[in-house]
Amino acid sequence: MSELILQALYSGVLQGGSYALIALGLALVFGTMKVINLAHGELVLLAAYMAYTVESRLGLSPMFAIPVALVLVCITAVLVYFLVSLIRKDRELNSLILTYGIGIILTNAVLLIWSADVRSTSSSWMQDALVFGPFYSMRSEVLFFVVSVALMGGLWWWLSKSWYGRAVRAVSSNRDAAKLMGINPRSTEIVSFIVAGILASFAGVAIFSYGVIQPAFGHVLTVKAFIITVLAGIGSIPGVMVGALLLGIAEALTVTLASSALQELVGMSLFLLVLFVMPNGLFGAAGRRG
Amino acid sequence: MKMSKTGLAVIFAAYVLVPLLLGSNSYVMSLIVAAMIIGGIALAWALLGNLGGMVSFGHSAFFGVGAYVSAILTMKAGVPVLAAMLLGGVGAVVASLAMLPVLRLRGPYFALAILAYAHIFKILATEWTSVTGGSAGLASVPRFPTLMGFDLSSKTGSYLIVLSLLLVFIAAYRVIRSSHYGIALRAMHDSEDATRVVGVNSTLLKALMLFVSAFMTGVIGAFNVHYINFLEPDYAFSGLWVTLPIVAAIFGGYRTILGPLVGAVTVYLVDQLIFKNLIPSGHQLILGALLVAMIIFSPGGLMPLLRKGTRRKHAAA
Repeated sequence: MSELILQALYSGVLQGGSYALIALGLALVFGTMKVINLAHGELVLLAAYMAYTVESRLGLSPMFAIPVALVLVCITAVLVYFLVSLIRKDRELNSLILTYGIGIILTNAVLLIWSADVRSTSSSWMQDALVFGPFYSMRSEVLFFVVSVALMGGLWWWLSKSWYGRAVRAVSSNRDAAKLMGINPRSTEIVSFIVAGILASFAGVAIFSYGVIQPAFGHVLTVKAFIITVLAGIGSIPGVMVGALLLGIAEALTVTLASSALQELVGMSLFLLVLFVMPNGLFGAAGRRG
Repeated sequence: MKMSKTGLAVIFAAYVLVPLLLGSNSYVMSLIVAAMIIGGIALAWALLGNLGGMVSFGHSAFFGVGAYVSAILTMKAGVPVLAAMLLGGVGAVVASLAMLPVLRLRGPYFALAILAYAHIFKILATEWTSVTGGSAGLASVPRFPTLMGFDLSSKTGSYLIVLSLLLVFIAAYRVIRSSHYGIALRAMHDSEDATRVVGVNSTLLKALMLFVSAFMTGVIGAFNVHYINFLEPDYAFSGLWVTLPIVAAIFGGYRTILGPLVGAVTVYLVDQLIFKNLIPSGHQLILGALLVAMIIFSPGGLMPLLRKGTRRKHAAA
C-alpha cells in the first residue's frame, strides 16, 4: 500500500510540472490584464494537436513540434489579446464571456480539423519505462518534468532580472504606478500573453507525449489551471507551483486509492474547500472578496 | 402590470395560431419546443446576469439536477408528472444552496466556482448508480399526462406547457424587476459598495436571484426530461445547456426580458437549419464566433441595437 502511495506521489509530482506551466500562463495574464483567459486550455490543446500532427504526418518525435507550436500558439495568444483589448466596457465580466466564446471557436476548430477521436503518442521512445528505485514512470513524463522545471527557472529569472519581466510584475502589482514609471502597459500585456503562449506550447507537447488528448480537453485544462491559481492565491508565482503539485498529487492519489472517474471531483472539491476556508488561497494577498 | 396590445396579440398568436398552423408538422414543432427550452434557460441565465450581476458557466448544473429530481420522483416515488416538474425546480434551488458561499466572490470566481459545481453534479449523477442509473441513464421516464382529453405529451401539448412556463417566467421577471428588490439590484449594479452602505443586504439579494434563476432552469430541465423521456449524465449536464443559452442571451440582449427568448429562437433555428447543414460536426464554431462578435461590437445585444435603429427612423420621419 505505501508503495502505491509513494508511486502516486511521484506520478502526481511529474504531472504537476505541466499543470504549473499552464497555470502560470493563466496567472501571468490575469496579473497584467485582470482577465481570466477561459481559452487558455485551448491554447495548450492546440500545441498538443501540433505535436500529434508532426508525429503522425512527418513521423518525427513530438519534440520537433515545439517550434511550430510556439509560433502557432503565440500568434493565437496575441489574437486573443487583441480581441480582449477591443472590449469597451465592463471588462471583468465581458472578457469572461469573450474568452469563453474564443474557447468554443478553438475547440470546434480542433474538432473540425482533427476529429473527435482520442489521440495519444505512438512513439515508443517516449513511452518506454524509466525506473528510479521504487518509482516507475514513462520516459516522457520525466523528460517533460525536467523541461518544465527548467522553464520555471527561466521564468523566475525573467520575472526577477529582465526589464520586461519586471515590467510585467510592476503592471500586475500597480498599473498606475507602473505607467508613471514609463512602462507601457499595452506592450507589457502583449508580452504576458506571449509568455503564457510559450509555456502553453511546451505544456501541450508534454501532455500529448505522456497522455491522451481530445477536443473537449482544453476546457478541462482551463478549469484545472484556474483551480491551481485559486489554490495559490492571486499574485503568487511560487504558490502556483505548489498548487500545481498539490493538484497533481491529489489527482494521482484519487486514481490510485479510489477510481479514475473521481479524478476531476477531487480537483473541484479542493477548489471549493479553499474558496470557503481560505478565500485568499494558500499564498495569496487579500482582496478577492467583493 | 401593464400589458401592451402587441403583447396580447403575440400571446394569442402563440397559443392559438402556432398550434393551428404548425401543429401538424412535428419536425417544426420539435424545433420550436427545443428553441423554447433554450430560451427558458437563457431567460434564467440573463436574470442572474442582469439583476444579480453574475455570469454563470454552470447553469447545466440546475438543468441537470431539475431533470434528475423530477425523473426520479416520478419513477421511484410515483409523484404526478406536472407536480414533479415543479419539484424539479425546487431541487435545483436546493442544489443552489450549496453555491451560497460562492456568492461573496466576485466576477470570475463565481463564474468558475459554479462551473466546478456543474462538474461535481455530473460526476455525482454518473457515480451514484443506485439512484440515477449511472452513465447508462434512465430510460422510459414518464410522459406528460392526458388532461381533460387533451394529450399533453404530444408535440403541441408539450409546446403549450413550455409556452405557459415561459410566460410565467416572464411575468415573474417583470414583477421582480419593478419591485423594491429590483430597484436595489439595479443600484447594486452601479455600485455594490454604495448600495450596501445604505443598508441593502446585497448578498441576500444575490442569493434570491440565484434561487429564482436556479428554479426556472430546474423546471425547464424537468420539462425537457418528461418531453424526451430519457436521461443520462452526459446529456443532462452537457455544456450545450450553458453555451447555447449564453449565446442566445448575449445575442438578444441580456439586459432585456424578451431579448434572451428572441435570441434563443433566432440562434437555435439558424444553428439547426443552416449551420448544422453547412458543418455537421463543429457547427458550434459559428456560435462561438457570434458570441465574440457580439461582445466586441454590441455587448448590449441585438434588441437595443434594433431599437436604436427604429428610434432613429421614427425621429427622422
